[in-house]
Amino acid sequence: MRTLEGIVTVVQEGRFLLTTDDGSTHLLILSHAAAAEPHQLAALQRAQSRVRATCRPAPDLIGWVVRRLDVLEATA
Amino acid sequence: MHDMPGPAQGGSAYDGPTYYDRPSLKPAPFNTTVVGGYIFLAGLAGAAQMLAALVRRARPPGFRRVARTGHALSLLAPTLGAGLLIYDLHTPQRFANMLRIFRRTSPMSIGTWVLMAFSGSSLATVAADWLGRVPGLRWLRPLGRAAELPAAVSGAALGTYTASLLSATSTPLWAATPRALAVRFGASSVASACAALSLAERRADNHRTARDLDTLALAALGVELAASLACRRRWRAVGLGAAEDTVSGKVLLEGGADLVGTALPIALHAAALAAPPAASRRGSALGSFATLIGSLCLRIGVLEAGDATALRPRESLGFAQPRNLPRQR
Amino acid sequence: MSVTAERSVQAVHVHPRARDYPGSFLDGVIPNESELTCGTRIEPGKSYGFFTDTTLCIGCKACEVACKEWNALPADSVGFTGMSYDNTGGLSANTWRHVAFIEKRGPTGTRQTDQDAFQSGWLMMSDVCKHCHNAPCLEACPTGALFRTEFDTVVVQQDICNGCGYCVPACPFGVVDLNPLDGKAHKCTLCYDRLKGGLEPACAKACPTDSIQFGEVPELQARAEQRVEQLQSLGVAGAHLYGAPGGEGATGGLGHLNAFFLLTERPETYGLPPAPTRPANRVAPGLLAGLATMAGLALGALALLGGGRR
Repeated sequence: MRTLEGIVTVVQEGRFLLTTDDGSTHLLILSHAAAAEPHQLAALQRAQSRVRATCRPAPDLIGWVVRRLDVLEATA
Repeated sequence: MHDMPGPAQGGSAYDGPTYYDRPSLKPAPFNTTVVGGYIFLAGLAGAAQMLAALVRRARPPGFRRVARTGHALSLLAPTLGAGLLIYDLHTPQRFANMLRIFRRTSPMSIGTWVLMAFSGSSLATVAADWLGRVPGLRWLRPLGRAAELPAAVSGAALGTYTASLLSATSTPLWAATPRALAVRFGASSVASACAALSLAERRADNHRTARDLDTLALAALGVELAASLACRRRWRAVGLGAAEDTVSGKVLLEGGADLVGTALPIALHAAALAAPPAASRRGSALGSFATLIGSLCLRIGVLEAGDATALRPRESLGFAQPRNLPRQR
Repeated sequence: MSVTAERSVQAVHVHPRARDYPGSFLDGVIPNESELTCGTRIEPGKSYGFFTDTTLCIGCKACEVACKEWNALPADSVGFTGMSYDNTGGLSANTWRHVAFIEKRGPTGTRQTDQDAFQSGWLMMSDVCKHCHNAPCLEACPTGALFRTEFDTVVVQQDICNGCGYCVPACPFGVVDLNPLDGKAHKCTLCYDRLKGGLEPACAKACPTDSIQFGEVPELQARAEQRVEQLQSLGVAGAHLYGAPGGEGATGGLGHLNAFFLLTERPETYGLPPAPTRPANRVAPGLLAGLATMAGLALGALALLGGGRR
């Protein structure tokens, strides 16, 4: 498990792109066990919210599986 | 346009060009043990409830306990069976979404509502059995009696809709023979319910009733055997014969379902009918156990062998040839 | 704009409305942009799909990349398949366009070593969800997560799907797939979000040779018929449609495929079933045969128990 902090920039279904402070962008997939639902992601993207994702590397995929998503601040 | 070698006619798998022999279908993402276990439990519970209702109606002597046992067995479906179904969902916390709609083209949706109806009516029959004598709860008894018919009808559907669930897919082995598979599942459900009820009667030293149940099991096993042969014939005819050559096909379908689950109990029960009642109790009990094991093997085996045909392009493409299309009405 | 530039613009038949947007940077999405990119205005209530002409495909995989980019799909199957130029392997939960590469073999089963001038021994085909008229995945879905959109396409609603997986074996083309990570079924949405915004689907817009053509299905079907005639007159005897109404690929009650193909070899070569069927047609036979068995055995039991009165 590791954590990624950044801004939600693109959302598609349960997948989203997270741009971290160093400018790199990661593809994250919301796990079925996460306490967040795909439809909540769109609001995070619209608000350009800063989030912290607790995730692990996805097997055989270039991406991360998110187990936990914390909204740090909702900047407008 | 078809200058490449064409498919072989008749019973062999497709031998023309494929896409690097990669699968052209995706296998069902079901856990075969979990879903096979559910199909087995649903069949057992549904058929037990149906037999319980028949016993209540015909009132043959010596069968008082059978109805109560049948009602109790029916609880396997709403409890353990439903638990297995939810466990197999990949987003299990959304299991209630199954109840959003009814879709008549989806046996999964039909089955959800059959299971709901069965669970409700079965709970009523059990409540009447267990609590009907408690003062203040006597109203449960007419309720339980009223629930017997819906429980039996939904039980009959529960014991066999799972075959339709498998046939209404594109997995070749399941799609090839919707009718024979349904007969096979239905007969296996009745046989397993008879076996479970018979074992319960033998435990209570009620061997006469157990013998009658074994006779009924014998009839159901005969139907199952005929359906098994019909399935195999059809699979061979459409080039799916190799599915039975997989390890799971050989062990579960031929060994488990056909030999242990059908042929062995048929032999044991038939021998028991010919022999004097006391001499054959052990054999009959063994036959009942074998029937239950075979019924479970049948469901897991059909699931496994089906997945194997989906993964093999020569079989799936061979099945999806125009000559295998249903005849136009 | 200089005279030569204006002339060249006319020469490639650019939509007249394109002249309204001469700049490189735009303030927002061009209204009804699809009119400019593919000559089709996207309106709810009409039927949209793809016509994939495999004779035009050059195997560039721009469609695969555009699809992954737009839909934020992760790269999957990291590694080499070891066959042809196809490292994608097939359609999956994370791959909604798949370019198949088939190296034609000669009559002896070996690779041809000589070739007519300007001919290629490679067949390339960009596979995708067919968005069937009678979609088996949709008909199988017990939650209503799979639905038919206002554009006559078939989409999985991610907020409803509970990952039962029944749509996966239902699909006769092996398209729908379950992602075990998020526990939901996924497949091509025919860029539902783009259609709602008046944009052509990403794969079709990215296709540099117009092998993937997006448009209204009846119009595409007419165009495809013409293309088959043209190819046959040019000597491509094997050119035929896969997924045209009632024809190859749309058999067994499937109706027609909204995403259909022009192939030059038999469909199995591309991994496509020549005669798929509609699974829902097997629901009633299965249920009735099963219920008849239960009824028959119940009658048998009644006869046995009734006759056994002692």
